[in-house]
Amino acid sequence: MSAPATQPSEQAFRRRLRWRHGKSKLFASLTITATLVGLATLAALLVNVFTNARLLIAMNATAEAGFAFSLRSLERGHDLFPYIRISQVTEGSSAEQLGVRSGDALIRMGFHAVAKISDAWATVEQIPEGPTPIGWVAGAERLLGDLRAEIDPETSRVTAVLLDYLTPGSAAERAGLQVNDILRKADDFPIQGTRQAWEAIVIAAQQKPTPSSVILEIQRGEQILHIALEAEQQAQIPLNRSFWHTLWFFITEYESPRFAELSGLRSAILGSFYVIGLMALFSVPLGVGAAIYLEEYARRTWLTGLIQVLISNLAGVPSVIYGIIGLEIFARAFALERGVLAGALTMALLILPVVIIASREALRAIPDSIRQAAYAVGATRWQVVRHHVLPYAAPGIFTGVVLSLSRAIGEAAPLILLGAFQYVAFDPKGLKDPFTVLPIQIFTWVGMPQEGRANIAAAAILVLLVILLLMNALAIFLRIKFQKRW
Amino acid sequence: MKTSIVVPSRRQAQRDDLSSLGEPILQTRQLSLWYGKQQALDGVTLDIPKNKITAIIGPSGCGKSTLIRCFNRMNDLIPGVRIAGEIFYHHKNIQDPDVDPVEVRRRIGMVFQKPNPFPKSIYENVAFGLRINGFQGNLDRRVEGALRQAALWEEVTDYLHKKSGLDLSGGQQQRLCIARTVAIEPEVILMDEPCSSLDPIATAKIEDLMLELKRDYTVVIVTHNMQQAARVSDFTAFLYLGRLIEYGPTKKIFENPDKKETEDYITGKFG
Ligand SMILES: Nc1ncnc2c1ncn2[C@@H]1O[C@H](COP(=O)(O)OP(=O)(O)O)[C@@H](O)[C@H]1O
Ligand SMILES: [Mg+2]
Repeated sequence: MSAPATQPSEQAFRRRLRWRHGKSKLFASLTITATLVGLATLAALLVNVFTNARLLIAMNATAEAGFAFSLRSLERGHDLFPYIRISQVTEGSSAEQLGVRSGDALIRMGFHAVAKISDAWATVEQIPEGPTPIGWVAGAERLLGDLRAEIDPETSRVTAVLLDYLTPGSAAERAGLQVNDILRKADDFPIQGTRQAWEAIVIAAQQKPTPSSVILEIQRGEQILHIALEAEQQAQIPLNRSFWHTLWFFITEYESPRFAELSGLRSAILGSFYVIGLMALFSVPLGVGAAIYLEEYARRTWLTGLIQVLISNLAGVPSVIYGIIGLEIFARAFALERGVLAGALTMALLILPVVIIASREALRAIPDSIRQAAYAVGATRWQVVRHHVLPYAAPGIFTGVVLSLSRAIGEAAPLILLGAFQYVAFDPKGLKDPFTVLPIQIFTWVGMPQEGRANIAAAAILVLLVILLLMNALAIFLRIKFQKRW
Repeated sequence: MKTSIVVPSRRQAQRDDLSSLGEPILQTRQLSLWYGKQQALDGVTLDIPKNKITAIIGPSGCGKSTLIRCFNRMNDLIPGVRIAGEIFYHHKNIQDPDVDPVEVRRRIGMVFQKPNPFPKSIYENVAFGLRINGFQGNLDRRVEGALRQAALWEEVTDYLHKKSGLDLSGGQQQRLCIARTVAIEPEVILMDEPCSSLDPIATAKIEDLMLELKRDYTVVIVTHNMQQAARVSDFTAFLYLGRLIEYGPTKKIFENPDKKETEDYITGKFG
């Protein structure tokens, strides 16, 4: 070859160099962009989860005070007027002591009118610490008495709603209502039915910017009267808005199928640890044993090569498929039902390949020179493994095991298939006991319609994330602490 | 052509031919070895004399390590190795099925090219071989003895249990490996380029050590440093492309080789 072809001119070299620098800058900015996009996604995710989960403290404060709410609404034409019904008042709670009973309507919290449950919680979250004023409307019987409807026999439409019985000491009696008064309107909400009458009063009271009476339009004989009814009752209720108290309640309380604010993670956390612990008992000795055999004992033949490929493929099999295997083999064929043991065995199958691969990596990281050194002083294969390879690989194996356990803790699909998808309000004890785990509990809550479910699901996600972070931190700690340089 | 390397007289063999060998401790007969399909040794026949230092020299890749690994069956650990021919240790073929390679290695120790101490304390490095071989006597004394023999005792006596073998310098690590080997009192010590990763001072220490060890042990050393072979060995084998080209007293190999290849290699024409 001629000399000029191999030696580019000074100018050409510089041009090329500039181009090369440009290229490396381009790639640097690409990688930075990728990193930033990743971080931004993560941040958005966390912010979303945090804002949702934050409401848990307010939810817990109201639950502590004795309330459990459900959302109702009054329909008028095309408009929907929501209100909060107090569905449950805990016995002996501060709410009960104030005279609140289930069936009442909550209309004010900290001087703010509240129409939805989430409004109530959001208000609790914002108002200052200390006793909180609440306003509520007693249930129909305690507010008024009994109502009766007069019905047109031809059209079967309600023509009038009358007071049939007046409860002594009720707000209605104090306002001067009498039996046989026809209720026509509560403020400007027309009264069209016996149950709707109370709802109209509730909505009318709720619409007031400050606690004040509702004006009832009634017909007494031929007379139309307007009577001020003090529908809203007021009192101060202590609310405990402590983070730790909330956390403790949340992780020690069972799931409540009806009320988000009363739900906790107890059975899910216990189920997760039970299943994962049992799973580790099966998969760790098996996986590490298999890895030792494959790495240290088995000859390198086409068969071990095939096994290697199969194991790598197994690690990539979608986890749902393990659920089918678990259901067919463990739940049905072994008659373990849909219990803890079936779940643990299914999960053990799922992470076994991961444990094997991680352990093999750790074993492979031990340099051959160490094995040779041990052999050269007359060690048997087992002595080499027992005294050298295994102890030096242990941190790596441990790291791998912890990471696969944390993968298993976040895994829901195979257990959903197994049918561990149930309402569990007890601690799983026996091996065949039904159970639930954290990710499934999250999945269930996200799918429930009531207000507050999304918030407790977010809080549960945070609990799961913290557990995962702790496990990963442990793995990193182990890796750093016991890292060996060769 | 005469070589310029001066062989110190006290290390010369008495006579100039192989009959000066005396009692052979290791022998190979028509030894050939294949890694899969690739042949690494081709018909090597060689007698290693007792209580002498035998050097194996030759260019990189000529099969020196392969040959030395045959003596303590370390090649068993490499998959796909096939061996033909015989290897005798005290006239017993160590390739025989009734021979336990663990026992062979317990009697024929090995020091490797790259120092490979265990990531354990200095004490445990030396004691390991004793423990696994069921040593009954005073472990501390034996460990001290081995470290003294390896000329390492003075340097590590203060932190026997505190420092890991990996915390030592390269030369110290290699002497620790020698201590580990002599601790179990083998009959033969195989050394595969023990100084190739060491600086000249550490190398000098190891070479002195080899001369010390000669009293109690038979030493086989692989080296591609010819000065080293000339300085320490009694006999030298020149290996080239898997064949034993020439074998004889070191003085003769370096001063008056029979074969043209040997002379070319020794004078640095290739290698
Ligand atoms: N473990 C092995 N697997 C396959 N081939 C090997 C192995 N070790 C050595 N060889 C080959 O055998 C030949 C001799 O190698 P070796 O004995 O290490 O040479 P030397 O120690 O003289 O440099 C070389 O060609 C090398 O590539
Ligand atoms: Mg070599």
